Amino acid sequence: MNLEALASCLSSSACAVTQISTALIIGMLLFMVASGLSLIFGVLGIINFAHGAFYMAGAYIAFFTYQATSSFLLAFLAGALGAGLIGVIFERFIISKVYGKDILMQLLVCYAIILIFDDLVKIIAGPEYKMMGMPDVFALPPLEFAGGFVPAYYVFMIVASLSIGALLWLAIEKTRIGKIIRALAINPQMVGALGINTTLLYAAVFGVGSMLAGIAGSLAAPTRTLTPGMGLSILIESFIVTVIGGMGSIVGALIAALLIGFTRAFGAIGFPLFVDGIMFGMMAVVLIIKPSGLLGREIAR
Amino acid sequence: MTKTTKGISRRRVLKGAGAMAGLAAIGAPHIAGAQAKVIKIGLPTILSGRVAILGTSSRFAVQLAFNQINEAGGINGRKFEVVDRDSKGRPDEAAKVTRDLINNDGCDIIIDGEASSGSFAVHEVVRDLGILCLHTCSETSSLTADPKLFSKNVFRCARQGIHDAVAGGSYAAKIAKEKGLKKWATCSPDYAYGRDNTAEFLQYAKMFEPSIEVVDQLWPKLFAPDYTESITKLMQVKPQAVYSALWGGDLVAFIEQSNLYRLFQNTAYFSGGLGDPPILTAIKNLPQGLNTAYRYNNGFPGSPENTAFCDAYVKVAPHEPTNWAWQNYAASQFIIEALRRTNGNTDSSALAKEISGMTVKKPFGGAGITMRDSDHTIINYPVAWGKTVSKSPWVLDYVDTEWSKIIELEKEWKKEKGYA
Amino acid sequence: MMKAGFLRDLFFAAVVLIVLIVVPFIFTKPSLRDFLIYVMAYGLLAMSLNLLVGLTGLVSFGHAAFFVSGAYMFGLLMQSGRVSIPVAILITVCGTAVLAMVIGAICVRLKEIYFSFITLAFQMFIHSIILTWVSLTGGDQGLRGGIPRPPFFGIDLSSGASLYIFSACIFVACILIMRQVWQSPFGYTLRLIRDNPNRANYLGVDIVRMKLGVFILAGAMASVAGVLLSLFVSGAYPEFGFWTTSGEAIFMIMLGGSQLFVGPIIGAILLRLLEHFVSIYTEYHGLVLGVVILAIVLGLRQGIADYVVDFLQRRREAKAAPAKEAAFVKKRIA
Repeated sequence: MNLEALASCLSSSACAVTQISTALIIGMLLFMVASGLSLIFGVLGIINFAHGAFYMAGAYIAFFTYQATSSFLLAFLAGALGAGLIGVIFERFIISKVYGKDILMQLLVCYAIILIFDDLVKIIAGPEYKMMGMPDVFALPPLEFAGGFVPAYYVFMIVASLSIGALLWLAIEKTRIGKIIRALAINPQMVGALGINTTLLYAAVFGVGSMLAGIAGSLAAPTRTLTPGMGLSILIESFIVTVIGGMGSIVGALIAALLIGFTRAFGAIGFPLFVDGIMFGMMAVVLIIKPSGLLGREIAR
Repeated sequence: MTKTTKGISRRRVLKGAGAMAGLAAIGAPHIAGAQAKVIKIGLPTILSGRVAILGTSSRFAVQLAFNQINEAGGINGRKFEVVDRDSKGRPDEAAKVTRDLINNDGCDIIIDGEASSGSFAVHEVVRDLGILCLHTCSETSSLTADPKLFSKNVFRCARQGIHDAVAGGSYAAKIAKEKGLKKWATCSPDYAYGRDNTAEFLQYAKMFEPSIEVVDQLWPKLFAPDYTESITKLMQVKPQAVYSALWGGDLVAFIEQSNLYRLFQNTAYFSGGLGDPPILTAIKNLPQGLNTAYRYNNGFPGSPENTAFCDAYVKVAPHEPTNWAWQNYAASQFIIEALRRTNGNTDSSALAKEISGMTVKKPFGGAGITMRDSDHTIINYPVAWGKTVSKSPWVLDYVDTEWSKIIELEKEWKKEKGYA
Repeated sequence: MMKAGFLRDLFFAAVVLIVLIVVPFIFTKPSLRDFLIYVMAYGLLAMSLNLLVGLTGLVSFGHAAFFVSGAYMFGLLMQSGRVSIPVAILITVCGTAVLAMVIGAICVRLKEIYFSFITLAFQMFIHSIILTWVSLTGGDQGLRGGIPRPPFFGIDLSSGASLYIFSACIFVACILIMRQVWQSPFGYTLRLIRDNPNRANYLGVDIVRMKLGVFILAGAMASVAGVLLSLFVSGAYPEFGFWTTSGEAIFMIMLGGSQLFVGPIIGAILLRLLEHFVSIYTEYHGLVLGVVILAIVLGLRQGIADYVVDFLQRRREAKAAPAKEAAFVKKRIA
């Protein structure tokens, strides 16, 4: 415990800027993964334990695309769309078969998908460590803000994640299709009775959710190591985020992701030994006081 | 309710019968008697998950060694077969597959390709069953140094933490003296290996250069995907040098993420794990001049044996040999040479007697690697440190540490720990 | 009635025990004995979890927390060299029960998926304590140096055969205890809570207390499973408490069936057989296992044992139905 160091960091602009940007860097990728998880749960009532597998798929697709084309833009798009497409296929042929079933069934299906994806990646890409490397556009010295340093790529990552999050929020809150999706979450029979193709909507929502995981994967690919099984560690953290923020709430996911980001960034300075404990503690406290999470609503079903 | 109970009990009997049939199949020998002359080598290792490359690169090396001897006609007409099994990195699974390899597949010898906790689990099994075993991936010193764990049939053919610490400490002290590096920080994974390795490195670095002062120690989680908060913390602390026990994919991510902050422009970096070809090639922007321990290098030692090993290895594997690969290849050489001396007799104690004190020339040539008689662990393997360059062969300017110095300090360390 | 049921269970238990003990002496391969000990340890874990999942409808994702606590408590007690094996087992079971009480007191107040999450959170917390408290637990390397097995009452567990017989006895005893709970009024109260909590509430059942009771019992039973495994591998490892261990136990329940009492054991046998044979032939066992899971879930949509029970019942009904119809038609004609 070193609160003095924490106080002195907060009072120096260089340290504060660097650590705040660290919090955003950690938080934004978590937000991307967790918002997908949250969206899928909110609308479909499915806890997608296989979400980490889509993150991994996005990262690997981006990696191979970048190797083939050397274009980060194409790699990013391919990773996002590829993961989304796999998500739609998964929804149509597998997860839709267990809608309304026991949660254990859903868990098992997801477990199976994790096992299959990890082995497929090992077969296709091999078990070696893979790193996409920094695209030339971002190969700049870190940018300086008020004495603190933020790498150019991370600035891009934060801006991209925030804009995607904002787009998602606008789409759900302000458009007609968003209204339908919100209605779908509350009363699917009614939506179906209005002549709207709910099957298609479910697949689309699942696809968007997986696409968010794929976006996180392709944003992570230039800075994180790709290995089979890489989806696991991000899955656990994003679960903590969704539980704290509230299942089904995009804004909740953002707030919780930032909470985790700030805990880790400033915890590293002030209380490095307690960071994990605090994260679990926050999750436990939220579950006990308000099980549905900060901004979640009780499940109707 | 009473109605169904009767039905269940009958079904239970049927189920039991079905299960028995399956169990009987497990009990049956897996391979028929005609092939009994084959000498079977069992290889429990990690073939799935994040460190699958440990297992796959080990397996390539073991298969390479025994294929070479099979092509040369085997030993006394007996050929070799390698049976590998995935433990998924779980110690209880490692114990189970090792027992299976011995009891079910009839393996005569075990090469244990498990890391840390798995190797201890395998150790208990081979001690229990009295079979010859060579640990090839575990670097934990206590595995062979602790006399409580000693078994006459069990050896370690892998680098040992304490040797690394002395070699690394003396190298780091020399550089620190030359360049005046006084303020040090560490950044190692938060688990037993990371903590022990870091503590031992610092102990010897400080012993050789007392002016070294540790200003901060960071402990990111093992297998963490992201190190940003550790890197920015290092930037606040501004040490002159950083030691890190990170390894594998974690290290690749750490270096690339540090590059974004240009961390290594003003900070010297010392790493125990960087010098492995799959890591060096995975890093896209390898900074120049990082200090690393030797893990494997095709140009060092510059002997014809090493070149031959690397050439043969890349023909069967998609990458250059890893640290684990040379260790497994050397372990295979110990086994082959021992069998040569016993004329193909696979009795564990006869083989163990031969391996104690044996020296093998492959894969590095020169004076060879020796299996020390007293505690069944190898010595005289390369413990050099070098500096990175941005293209192949990736690490140059290797500086060796005298083995006599390492052994002397190892003796004192054993006394301190109560091992001797 | 209760007594007759108990005697019948006792009889079955004796038969199972005799079969378990005799089989390895008929098929003398040591690997068969290993296999059976594994099935017993993991089967017991799955059975204890099913007290929560199948009987009470509480889907715990963190049951391995008690499995790992059993293994570590027992291992540490034995390594301290102060207690004999039965005493150590007793302390371990009581200690884990206390742990389960503390954790359970918080968890059982939550419903459905939130219960699952918080059990998972506690398990991850315990796992990370084991990893970081290196001086006590040995961290990621586990409890090293083997677990001593000093003889007691003239029984020496250092021989493989006696360790096996000892495990079989403990296993059968635990199954018998769980069977009694399964059939007891307490068991039926739990089923009522699972199927209709509102009604249970109206009937004056203290739901939280009932749930806590079964949570503690299940935790204690899981700790015995941990003891068996740590005795067998002569060590305890943090992986015992990782979420994949809980996942595997859930998988065993699903594979076997949650509504039949012995379903989880059938699941444990099937999963272990599957893993055993698949990993001999391919290193891509995850791929094969995943496909098998998908086939079972999407094909049968329930556990294998549950499916067989349903199937037999349907067939019996189908057989009975035409007969009844025939009789009815006959009557009409007459």
